[in-house]
Amino acid sequence: MRTYELMFVVDPRVSDEEVVTMTHDYRQMIVAGGSEVTKEENWGRRKLAYPIEKLTEGKYVVFFVASEGGKTSLPAVEHRMRQNDKILRYLTVRTDLDLKRAGSRVAPLEAPVQPGAAPVATPAAPAAPSSPVAPTAPAAPAAAETPQPERAERGAAREE
Amino acid sequence: MARPKKVFYRRRKVCKFCADKIDYVDFKDVKLLQQFIPERSKILPRRISGTCARHQRLLQQAIKRARHLALIPFTTD
Repeated sequence: MRTYELMFVVDPRVSDEEVVTMTHDYRQMIVAGGSEVTKEENWGRRKLAYPIEKLTEGKYVVFFVASEGGKTSLPAVEHRMRQNDKILRYLTVRTDLDLKRAGSRVAPLEAPVQPGAAPVATPAAPAAPSSPVAPTAPAAPAAAETPQPERAERGAAREE
Repeated sequence: MARPKKVFYRRRKVCKFCADKIDYVDFKDVKLLQQFIPERSKILPRRISGTCARHQRLLQQAIKRARHLALIPFTTD
């Protein structure tokens, strides 16, 4: 199942009732395309962070859409929004993948570090520079590495 | 063995998103995003904020989305 979030900003000069009918229309378009509107949020009038078409305010509406199977009417809805002058901005974001990834997240570093075997320590070392924030993490593999080459050198010296 | 010991200690920065266990950065969460846009409305670099690479990436995406919808400014002049 795919989920989307569709947010749009309406001209503040449009009356609240008209915004409701507009959202109702879009909702029906989405439903007609075989998707489901799971939630709808009306943020109402909000100050814009920067002027759009010389307007400083906008009315925000968010749709949360869920669709089974591949097809949705969202491209058609976007097309309609693009042609509607009262809509200042719109944005559709697909959210299911990101939410799933967020849900299935496991701590990636801690598991391989704990077994102290040498072959495991080497893959941990290239991973360490990516997290320069944690000083303890790079320090540990560095300390683990240094004794090994020293031992190798001593071994070589004895052979000579 | 012969490594010089570093004496100075820096306060350790922790990724806010890791600490708060936020795994999806929502572009609608203006309050959260605003913590990462300083005065000039630029995206705060992770060198300063301490955000981890993964979350910085998500944050960057969310900020850009929020900008498009005029929830967050591009610049302040």
